[in-house]
Amino acid sequence: MVTITVNGVRREVQAPGDTPLLYVLRNDLQLRGPQFGCGLAQCGACAVLIDGKEVRSCVTPLSDVAANQEIITLEGLPARWAKQKGLSAQEAENTLHPVQQAWIEEQTPQCGFCQNGMMIKATELLESNPNPTIVQIKQAFTTSGLSPNLCRCGTYVAIIEAVQHAATIMAKGR
Amino acid sequence: MATMSERPGNVFGAKLSRRQFVKTGGVLVVGFSLVGPELLKGVSPKPAVLKNSLDPTLSSSWIEIHPDNTILIRTGKNDFGQGTTFTAYRQIVADELSVPFEAITTVVAGDTDRTPDGSGAFDFLGRGTPNIRKAAAYTYQALLDLASERLGVPREKLSVKDGIVSGGGKSISYGDLIKNQQLKLTIPVKGDLTSIMGLTIEGNPPMKPVSEYTVIGKSFKNSITSSKVAAKETWATDVRLPGMLHARVVHPKTLGSTLISVGQLDKAKFPNSQVIVKDNLVGVVAPTEWEAIQAAEQISGSTKWTEWKGLPGNSKLYQHLRDEADWTSAPVGKGRANKGDVGPALASAHKKHSATYQVPFMKHAPIGPTMAVADVKPDGTVHIHTHNQNPQELRGEIAMMLRTTPDHVIVHAYPGPGHYGRSNGGNAGAEDEAVLLSQALGKPVRVQWMRADDMQWSTQSAAAFSDVQIAIDEKGKIAAYQSDHFMPAMQDDRPIGAVLAGLPTMPAPDVHSDFITATTNSIADPWVYAPVPNVVELGHGTFQVGQKASPLAVGLRDHSMRTPVQYQQNFPRELAMSEAAALAGGDALQFRIDHASEERAIGVLKAVRDASGWDTRPSPRPDALAAGSTPVRGRGVSLMFRNLTYWACVCQIAITPDTGVIVVEKYTIAVDPGIVINPAQLKRQVEGGAVMGISLALLEEVMFDESGITQNNWISYPILKMSDIPEIKVVLLNNPKVGTYGGGSEAANALAAPAIAAALHDATGKVMRRLPMKPAYVQALLKT
Repeated sequence: MVTITVNGVRREVQAPGDTPLLYVLRNDLQLRGPQFGCGLAQCGACAVLIDGKEVRSCVTPLSDVAANQEIITLEGLPARWAKQKGLSAQEAENTLHPVQQAWIEEQTPQCGFCQNGMMIKATELLESNPNPTIVQIKQAFTTSGLSPNLCRCGTYVAIIEAVQHAATIMAKGR
Repeated sequence: MATMSERPGNVFGAKLSRRQFVKTGGVLVVGFSLVGPELLKGVSPKPAVLKNSLDPTLSSSWIEIHPDNTILIRTGKNDFGQGTTFTAYRQIVADELSVPFEAITTVVAGDTDRTPDGSGAFDFLGRGTPNIRKAAAYTYQALLDLASERLGVPREKLSVKDGIVSGGGKSISYGDLIKNQQLKLTIPVKGDLTSIMGLTIEGNPPMKPVSEYTVIGKSFKNSITSSKVAAKETWATDVRLPGMLHARVVHPKTLGSTLISVGQLDKAKFPNSQVIVKDNLVGVVAPTEWEAIQAAEQISGSTKWTEWKGLPGNSKLYQHLRDEADWTSAPVGKGRANKGDVGPALASAHKKHSATYQVPFMKHAPIGPTMAVADVKPDGTVHIHTHNQNPQELRGEIAMMLRTTPDHVIVHAYPGPGHYGRSNGGNAGAEDEAVLLSQALGKPVRVQWMRADDMQWSTQSAAAFSDVQIAIDEKGKIAAYQSDHFMPAMQDDRPIGAVLAGLPTMPAPDVHSDFITATTNSIADPWVYAPVPNVVELGHGTFQVGQKASPLAVGLRDHSMRTPVQYQQNFPRELAMSEAAALAGGDALQFRIDHASEERAIGVLKAVRDASGWDTRPSPRPDALAAGSTPVRGRGVSLMFRNLTYWACVCQIAITPDTGVIVVEKYTIAVDPGIVINPAQLKRQVEGGAVMGISLALLEEVMFDESGITQNNWISYPILKMSDIPEIKVVLLNNPKVGTYGGGSEAANALAAPAIAAALHDATGKVMRRLPMKPAYVQALLKT
């Protein structure tokens, strides 16, 4: 039995310690955000935040994650934003994270399979740099992680525009 | 209790019948009746109602109008990111029915038991008249008839706005019109449900005049985006059935290996795993995914396969294609624009361009490897949960594999990673394997391919080469154009698991009459230079590379990928046009305008010239340089017509000769689809195609040795990264007077390669006629 904290809730899982976190999140905890793209930390589809840092769950053994570390998946982004902004429970219920709002406003996804990782990366970036330049955005999605965040549909332009849009929503505070 | 009075009526060839009920909700159901020779191959005798399908004569429906004025539409076309079914389809239906966009609240797509027409996720706009548009047009006519009768006002005096029919001082909503009635409109349909093209609605119902469009032309959002972004969508990858087992397939060692002996499972390490063997199909199954992965790795290491070396290997690919492939057995494909007599014109050319162009094998490379969950029930009913571009054709293929009929197979369609054509013929790889493992175990089984499986065992876009000859006369005009395009068969729809298991599949590509899987190479790139007096375009086809030599008859299996066949023919033509312009001493863009007569072709060229800041002059640039460590800049142009849409593209690049590294700095594209249905969505699709096209042009090439594909991940098969993208400018030319809407999702892919190659020539004076323009290849070229 291993204890992990996912989207603010402590969860006990039965999986062996060497199980990649991705399979625990998807199969044991029925989460739908992180996707299996390569299993090799080469694409970013499986990304989650651990203590605010983008991590590739496909190569992170369950045993490497301590019980008190905060794992946030795509599902947990709205609550993360609500907590950061001190929104009421009711407000939080009806609010998406600014990154998610921007992804919808800008109509960023095509197939959308990689976009989990893109939104996780965008959140990590905007939490440390609230007003990134295009160069900084490209850098974040290309060289800051274990690999570039890859999109086969070619939505990079839409991602850059959505990150900029998310930055303006975050600056406004809602 | 219902009191029924059946009163059939004729609606432009469709039949309207009504059952009036005392107490029911009422619904207008547009179903279809059958015409044509065959609805469904392999079913004999043909049942009146096919089990697990929408009833073709009664309950099947394309469009439901409900008493609350909401509308549901159904389509067999399963979106993979184009968004058309959730945006353009709703806009088209809204305008044909004269209802607001928001009235269409539900889109049902893909599921084989819940959608009527089948076919693949391509050509969504159906050359201007997709099935859903005709279904809506028939429905509108039926509604007018009903309203005329109900209101006692002649049809011609009725008008409709926002779903309210008005005339003679009276009005009624669609919802009220059909309330307490069950209406069935049967419309004529033909085709083969489980074929690649599916069913087509026949007849010619009156369509809404373009001048009356109020919904088409506006940028509505894609309704599935929100649920995907909020992690609320059920993806194919999310399907978990009770008692489901996880599986991995141990694919053969080479593309021609057969099984000698399967490895012994380490039961101490993997106590809950099982190995299933069916001929050459080896599956490893376990209750948890992680155990299945590890057990499959262990089995893979100890399983013995025969050796096979039946491929030419990369380095000899084009030599193999040129000298060893059989180009004589398949009938020669001839271009529709062929005319005149090229021979004398080429022989007496003032100047002559003659060159060979090469396009490699390329992977569709979906960002998630193929997967499927199959559940074979004790009664033989098969449920498949997957992401697929053509669920009805998959249904037919699985039925064929199991020697049963399609009515025993139900495919449930979900969103998934884009396939870009790979599954438009019904399978992506894992579906049939999941079915066979589920059948063997009597339990639901989820097969997930690993990244290496997806790189090495999926189909790819076929390699091709072309010989192009152009004669230029004294006035600098093209006197003759001849192209000979050589390409192995592009469409192999045999499910690989069925092939490995030795079970029935459709035939391998061969010289046969089914044009989709025939070895014939047709001319797919419409000729756009009408004033050229002498034109010959010929397509030469052959078997897939390694297919004849493989004991499994597989080799390098090919499958259509965005802009299939046209990509392979447009690159040679458009690069050759730029070279011909240079030979004639003319500007490459003006040279194209000078050889075009179609106003729309000239329109996109002028638009892209203006938007890109094109400097009119001959190529190469006067200070072109093929050596040095300083970047040299150049620009190139390309032109294409596809699915009723004209495209022109300008790429501006920087090339560092010493490293061979090309950076595309600016990419400008002009698109004239006729009517632009949804500007914002079209712009996003074009941007995506631009990026994928640059990726293909600069990076992508399948590497293989004599036994199989040697790439197994994103390092060995790289695609474009965000830092590599240029400034992208999309110019949409809304051109309503054309009167139709053309396709926009896939074609942008093809335009980058010839424009970048022309830009390289402009910058360096050297011509790269082989894709991709990888640094090592460019470096080598510049040293010549």
